[in-house]
Formats: sequence, C-alpha cells, structure tokens
Amino acid sequence: MQDTHVSLAHGNGGRYMRELIEELFARHLANPRLDVDADAVAIPLPPGDVLVTTDGFTVQPLEFPGGDIGALAVHGTVNDLAVAGARPHYLTLNVFVEEGFEIAALERIVASLARATREAGVAVAAGDTKVLRRGEGGGLYLATTGVGIREPGRRLGLREVRAGDRVLVSGPVGDHGVAVMLAREQFGLRGDLRSDAATVLPLTEALLGIDGLRFMRDPTRGGLATVANEIVRATGLDLHLDEALIPVREPVRAVCEMLGYDPLYLACEGRVVAVVAPEATEGALAAWRELPGGTEAALIGTLSETRNRARAILRTPLGGERVLEELEDDPLPRIC
Amino acid sequence: MAAVRWVVGGRVQGVGYRPFVYRLAHRLGVAGTVRNGAGVVEIEAHGDDDALAAFAEALIAEAPAIARPQLLERGAPTAADDIDEGFRILPSRAGEAPRNHVPPDYFTCPDCLAELADPGNRRYRYPFINCAQCGPRYTLIRALPYDRAATTMAGFTLCPECRREYEDPLDRRFHAEPVACPTCGPQLAFVGGDERVAGNEAALTAAVGMLRAGATVAVKGIGGYHLLCDARNETAVARLRARKPRPHKPLAVLFAEDLRDLHRVADLSPAHEAALRAPERPIVLVPLRDGHGLAPSVCPGLNELGVLLPYSPLHHLLAADFDGPLVATSANPSGEPVLTDEAEAENRLADVADAFVHHNRPIERPADDSVLRVVAGRARPLRLGRGLTPLELELPQPLSRPLLAVGGHLKNTVALAWENRVVISPHLGDLDGPRARDLFARTIADLQRLYGVRAEAVACDAHPDYASTRWAAAQALPVHRVWHHHAHASAVAGEHPAHRRWLAFAWDGIGLGPDGALWGGEALYGAPGHWRRVGSLRPFRLPGAGRAGREPWRSAAALRWEAGMPWPLDSEMAEGDAALLRSAWERDLNCHRSSAAGRVFDAVAALLDLVREVSFEGQGPMYLEALAAHAGTTEAVALPLAQDDAGLWITDWAPLLALLDDPARAPVEKAASAHESLARAILAQAVTLREREPVDAVALSGGVFQNRLLAERTLALLDAEGFAAHLGERIPCNDAGLSFGQVVEYAAATSNPS
Ligand SMILES: [Fe+3]
Ligand SMILES: [Mg+2]
Ligand SMILES: [Zn+2]
Ligand SMILES: [Zn+2]
Repeated sequence: MQDTHVSLAHGNGGRYMRELIEELFARHLANPRLDVDADAVAIPLPPGDVLVTTDGFTVQPLEFPGGDIGALAVHGTVNDLAVAGARPHYLTLNVFVEEGFEIAALERIVASLARATREAGVAVAAGDTKVLRRGEGGGLYLATTGVGIREPGRRLGLREVRAGDRVLVSGPVGDHGVAVMLAREQFGLRGDLRSDAATVLPLTEALLGIDGLRFMRDPTRGGLATVANEIVRATGLDLHLDEALIPVREPVRAVCEMLGYDPLYLACEGRVVAVVAPEATEGALAAWRELPGGTEAALIGTLSETRNRARAILRTPLGGERVLEELEDDPLPRIC
Repeated sequence: MAAVRWVVGGRVQGVGYRPFVYRLAHRLGVAGTVRNGAGVVEIEAHGDDDALAAFAEALIAEAPAIARPQLLERGAPTAADDIDEGFRILPSRAGEAPRNHVPPDYFTCPDCLAELADPGNRRYRYPFINCAQCGPRYTLIRALPYDRAATTMAGFTLCPECRREYEDPLDRRFHAEPVACPTCGPQLAFVGGDERVAGNEAALTAAVGMLRAGATVAVKGIGGYHLLCDARNETAVARLRARKPRPHKPLAVLFAEDLRDLHRVADLSPAHEAALRAPERPIVLVPLRDGHGLAPSVCPGLNELGVLLPYSPLHHLLAADFDGPLVATSANPSGEPVLTDEAEAENRLADVADAFVHHNRPIERPADDSVLRVVAGRARPLRLGRGLTPLELELPQPLSRPLLAVGGHLKNTVALAWENRVVISPHLGDLDGPRARDLFARTIADLQRLYGVRAEAVACDAHPDYASTRWAAAQALPVHRVWHHHAHASAVAGEHPAHRRWLAFAWDGIGLGPDGALWGGEALYGAPGHWRRVGSLRPFRLPGAGRAGREPWRSAAALRWEAGMPWPLDSEMAEGDAALLRSAWERDLNCHRSSAAGRVFDAVAALLDLVREVSFEGQGPMYLEALAAHAGTTEAVALPLAQDDAGLWITDWAPLLALLDDPARAPVEKAASAHESLARAILAQAVTLREREPVDAVALSGGVFQNRLLAERTLALLDAEGFAAHLGERIPCNDAGLSFGQVVEYAAATSNPS
C-alpha cells in the first residue's frame, strides 16, 4: 500500500479498500475467526449466558498519554462485559475514518487496538470500514460490539445490593479524564499524567469467586460520582462516601485543584467500582491488591437505609457532608 | 353607656394577648368578652365613653411587648344585649379561614428573670422558666392552633400548681403553653466522658466546672446546640477551633445580662445596645476595644465581634454562674443546620465537645441565632433566625395564588406567600449538604401546614444547579424562575413599595445572569418584575470556576491577567502550576465570565496579601474592611465609566490594580482607598443614569453590602447627591433575602400593571 493518507477511494469497495483491509486491519487483527471475505461468520461459544454490548468511541485527541482510541475501543467494550460478570470472547469493529487521515497514524492505532485484544483475550470476528468526507469526522471514530459468556445463574446487579453493603474502588480515579483533557488542550505533556486505560478483566474475575459480590461497574463517563448516583437511584439507599478514602493520585489531584475540576466526576478507563457484602470486603480488597491494576484498591463507602430521599453523600475531610449531584452538562459555579 | 366591637389582627396569638385584654378590662371597669377567632382576637365591650376610649387606646399601646396587634375593624357589637356585667374570655371560634401567626421564640422576660433570681420563688434557678410573655414558641410548636397538646411540652403533665396558673385568666401564665416548673417540667442532664449527671443544679455545676477548666461544652438551647468555652482562654478557644474545625470564622460570644463585661470589651452605641436587648436576642456585631482581653483567636483579623446576651433562662444561669464571656457558636459544621437531637449531637460532636448539657424538652425544629449588624445607624439582619422568624411581612398587593419561594443555594431561606402575606423561614444553611436539604424540604412542608396554606406555584433562582431550583423543578407546580440579581433588587424594593422607579445596585459574590455570565456588579433600572440592566463592572474571566469563591487568589489572577498585567507576583505558586492555569485561562477552559464586585473585593484582599485561600465566605472582604478601618484620610482613585457597545455603563476596576502596586502607599491606605473608589463608582453610575432616566430611589442589595464601610460610604455619597438610598432593613442584603425578593418579583410579574 503506497498511500500516505486515506482517500475517499479507500471506502468505495474497490481495490484501494481491499488493500487497506488486507494490509492494515487484517494484518494486525489476524485470528482464526477473522475471514475478510465472508459476509458473516459463525462464533462458537462455550456454555453459559451470552452477553452482548456495543459502544462508540470519539475521544479527542486520538492518541494521549497512556492510550489511544484503538485501545479504548477494546477496553471500553471488554470492560462493560467484564463488570457484568462475563468473559469476553469476540468483538466486531466498525471504523469511520476521515478522508485525509494519515495512514501511519491509523496503523499505530490499529496496532494498539490489536495489542489490547490480545491482552483481553478477545478476537475481532467481523469488521467494516467507512470513509467520511473531509471535515465530516473527527479524524477517526470507532465502534465495537462485544460478545461474552457469563456463568449461568450468576446473581450480579443493582438488584442484589442491600443496606450495609460496602463500596470498593479498584484504584485511583480521574487519571483518564485529566490525561485526555490535558492532551486535548495541548498543555504540553506531563510525564506523571497518564490514562488508566486497561482491561479490567483480571479485576472482575478476581471478584467473581468471592461470595457476597453484588455489583460491579466501570466508572467511565461522569466518573465515580455518576456510578454513585446510579447505585443510589436504582437501590433507593443512601450511599455514604468518605472523601479521605477515595484514592486520587497526587498529580491528578494537583491538576484538578488548579483547574477547578472534581476528580470524582472525571472518567476512568481501567477501574472497577464494586459493591460487596460487608463480610466480603476484606477478601475482595485482598484479591484486588494482589493484581497489578489493583494495588491501590480501597474501601470508600457504605450503603444505608435512607431517612429521607436517597442520596450519594460525600463526607469531606473537614467533617462536613456534601451531596454528590448527578452530573450536569457544563456545571456553573454556584458559590455566591 | 356605649358598646363597641373590635377585631384585632397581627401577632396576637401565643403572646398572652387575651389575658392582657381581660386584665385591662378589669382595670378599666369595662364589661364584655374576648375570644380567639381565626388568627384574630375579637373583643366586645360596653362601658362609659371615657373607659371605652382608654380601653381602645390601651389595646394597642399597652399590648404585651412581644405582641404586634393591628386594629382591623371597629364597629357595633354583634349581640350587645348579651353583654352582662363583668368581662369573660370565651372559647375560641373555629371554622373560618385561618389567619394564623406562628410566634417566634422569645427571650426570658423581666418578670421571669426576677423569679429566676428570687430564692423564695418555686422557680428559683429553674432553667426552663417561662410565661405567656416569653419562652420558646416556633421551635416547639407541632401544629396550630397553638395549644400545649400540640407542642413538644405535650409529654409533660402539669403539676397542680402550674395547672392553676395555666387556667387562671389573671395569672401571668394563663395559657402559657410551655409553662413548667422544677416539679413537672423539663430537666437538664450533663454528660462528660463516662460521667452522667442528672438534675438541673448538678448539671449546671458540672458544666460550669468544665468551662472554667477550659473545656468545650455542647449545650442544648432553644433552637439547637451551641458549643461553649471560656472566651478569655486562648488555649480553650484555639482547641475548639482546631476540633470543630473552624480555622478563622469569627466566633460569637455570650455576655451576661448586666453588660458590665461587655462594656469592657466593646464600644457600644445606643443602636448596638438596643439591638442586643431586643426581644429577639440576636447576635449583634459590635466594635472591639483595643486590649479587650478576649482570646485573640475569638475573631482573628477583625475588629468587630459578634456578641449576644442570654436569651433563655438556661443561658442566663450559665452566663451568671460562669461569670465571664463565653464563646457560643452553633454546634454544627459551618453552613449546616444547627444540631437539635441528643444522639446526633453526641455522635457528630464526639471529637469536638468534652461534655454535653442536654435537656429533655424536644426541639421540634431548629432555629439558629439571628445575626445583626448596625449599618448607617440601623441594626440590619445578616441572618434571620431564632426570635426573628418566622418573619411575617405584608405585600402591597394580594397574590393571585399562594406561592412558595425557595431562595438561593447558600444561606438559604424559603418564603411562603398568599393573599398579601409573606412568611420567611429561618436561615436553613447552605444546600450543599444532606441535612440542610432535609431541613429545607421539611420547613417547606411545615410552613404550609402551620399556616394552613398550600402553594400553587413555586418561585426559584434561575440557576439550574441550585439545589433549591432542582427541588422546585421536581414539584408538580408551575415554576417561576427569577434571575438572581433581580431577586436581590426586588428584596429592597419590596420593603419600600411606595417607590416606583428604582436604580438598584446588586453587588454580590456571583449569581447567574441572563447572558450566562456570572453577574455580581450590576446596576438594574426599573421596578420589581421589570428590571433592565443598565450598568456593570468591567467583565473578567475567573479561572477554575467555582473554586474562585474559596480561593481569592484566583480573582487576583483574573483581574491582573484581564488587565494585561503579570501574575503571580511572588514565588508562592510553582511556576508550572501558574503556567497551567494561565493556559487554561487563555483557552477558556473551566473559566467563567464574571462582573462580580465580590470577586473584585476578593482580588484586592488577595493582592494586599490578606488572604490567599479562605475558610468562610466573605473572609477576604472582611479582612479588607477591618484593615481599612485603621486609615486616616482616604483618597479615591477614579474608576473610568464608559458605555460599551450594548449601551451598558461599565466601570473599569483596572486603576485599583495600579493603586495596589503603588509602593508609596501603605496597605491600610490602599484598603481604605479601594472601598472609597468603589463607593464613588456607584455614585458615578447613579449620577450618570439619573441624567437619562427618572430615579425615585436607589437600592443597595447583594452580599457585598454586608461590608459596613462600603455601605455607609455609598449611602452617604448618594444621600449627599439627593438620592433616596435604601439598604435592606428587615431582609438581609445577602442571599438570605432572595426568597423574599422572589416573592416580590412573582407578585409584580403576575399582577396586572395598572
Ligand atoms: Fe447573591
Ligand atoms: Mg460502554
Ligand atoms: Zn416570662
Ligand atoms: Zn409544675
């Protein structure tokens, strides 16, 4: 393939497109299931409940410290299956690339995507590529659909959550949000700020064996505070979070303080929030802390019956209490 | 002989008004009847003309100190023939639309105080002594009509002696619903560590002993728990601050009734003294003397102190027994509602208080202390609380339907309005926390229940993220959104309904403006319901959004950068951090356009190195004001006033930065000059605008005018130029006044313009 940039011809179904698929996508994503000539493929699955999830990826910039849109397109979908208690097996991949996009960059991103599939042990079973007219896309959009298998009869979900249950987080929050924001605004790179983008499969599998696991979620868009509100809304319980216990890495905290962001509302891409029965707390934390992605796992909160209306309540280090609101679009300061 | 019927409204229930009428009739030899109607008192009397004339006059003039009677009707008796000899109190009449008045909590009256100090009296040193003229009301009422069974005293059965007093129309305690004595009433209990001491005297002795030893004691009062400690013991005060934690915010100090100690500490004007002794017993800010002898950390950096006199018999006993000034601060994290529940107090204050003085009279609803500041010769509220609330006011025109106004987000109050009445709640706190939100919702339900009124519309701030706005939006009622500064302006205008064409200066921290910017230095022309922005301050962009409120250095950076000047000026901030913020500011990342005068004051305070970060709202401007008080003569710098493209008159604050940079001037002088310059900037806007529009009156509104120096100078300058200038008198100028302002806005917007 000689071209240095993507052209409309790469999307017209002809030779250019075949070359792009064969020499770029197929080369990186090769696996026994991927048959670029077939209209549809069969995916043999082990026994269990079949879970499917889908997600679109539009992150800007496409490459940032600690990750890129390719890796994210795998992690995002794999992690959604993982926190649902499933083992991911297959992905499909849709690529929307803008005319004029640099082929070398596309190749880097696809290679990163491929690496992420190998880490998570999933295979890309089907894919499609479209070329968008210049100016009609943010360079590159990806969409992935994931298929996974969950042990039959596993009870996992917000319906299982009870008053007295504990809330755990697998590691520091806000890294991805800060890293992407700084990269997007071209503030100049700071080596200490990297996205946490990773597969959470080892973390979720470590908890699946623990009695008393109730619920897991990956705090992506809207961050930990949004997951907290999801738990409260679905369970009708008060969630008491202790701010001093929530791990936030020092450079992340510093940037948030300087720019006025709340790390609890910033996205993570490699963390898990879990709700467990009180007696399962120690076991779950111990299991996480043995894993490379879980060394800073922490108990951060407790659920209780509400006396009024259910809320996520943050206890501040000064002993005050603050209601963690659902995220508003572009919140306005309200201190008068 | 003649016969007359009067209907008396206003605050005449729960204040001993009927017994007063009864005693008056006996004294003047007037026959007839008195009875409670629906929120009014109906009196029918016959006697000779002179007696009736004296009776009529005394009905208003000699009314009990805490009553607020208004003569509603005077006419012929309904059944003159029935009037026999003597004067009787008839059973209450029910079945009409209620015109309830919920009485506030009252200070201990002189008669009860005398009994409290009289060893021969059966209520000698009884911490819960009260009568029809004094004692708790709002904080113990469960339902109206006001009757003992519907208060938190319901569980205390009257002893025979108390019952006799309660049932005797000639007794001072006739139908004093909270009446109690050591035999049948509430008792104190002291808890310190493992020690639990029951009994009034034992508890008082234990508490005073702890206080003398420098301990912090949490005391359950009328509307909630206070933390007390020795105000002259620096170690004790510093420890209380460290444990609360409350690093800087001034602490209120309780002084004994005789003012002997207080006169040594503060310079009291007659206005201060009158405010301190008023039945509401508020906290009043008073100027400190040099060498006042109080612990320095009572109010670091300030030359005014919030003081209060005992408002309950328990506080009288504590202040007298301790025999010295006591720090008395609400026992709750700043901004949260005051604690009222024994178990919750012990739980939340476990690391703060060394001991507790509880009592077993439940507090039905909290009421924090009211706070007043004397500005331009008049004591004005900064916080509405115990004694002042529920605050009942009248609207100039009746509302088409009952309205609930839910106020702002910080220092929240709510107001219920119907017909031509408005009732304003006590200070409910900052709505960030769950307890304040619960109290907010509860107070709203409470007010409607107590007054027998159901709101059919809700007014709220236009800021979508205020907890009050979100609450309003979740109700199944029509919502009327009011712009923050319109409500500020209307709060003043609503106190002076005679004026038609206002020029209102709404200067505060920040509030959302209709253009999406954070307003707070605005000149609004018009009248309630019809405000038009005509002037403002030069806009600037605040880096770090909401953090600017807690970090005045951000305002300093914003102003310097906006003016094209370098910042930071020192090495206090790492270069990388400053560069990061500057980049964000240049990219408009999490920055908001603002014209808030409060932020300009913050910037001046920060640039004078008075504060970088603050632990309470207004800390920077308060330090700045305190510093300016030491200035001799004051020179203003001229702040240019010019029209922008939209025709708005914009004052440029930039010359203040040059003033602050001037090495030839002392900080004291700079602080004073900044105040004077901004006061003159308001005058310049007012004069310029009056040349173009007719102005009947000028309103000063918004939290910035809590600054006495600025407010007094601005009022004086406006007065000298012939403006009728007003600053909130019964309504706080800060966000606590928003609920009333929203009511006034709604009333204007929904009435037909005549
Ligand atoms: Fe305001
Ligand atoms: Mg997803
Ligand atoms: Zn009394
Ligand atoms: Zn008794």
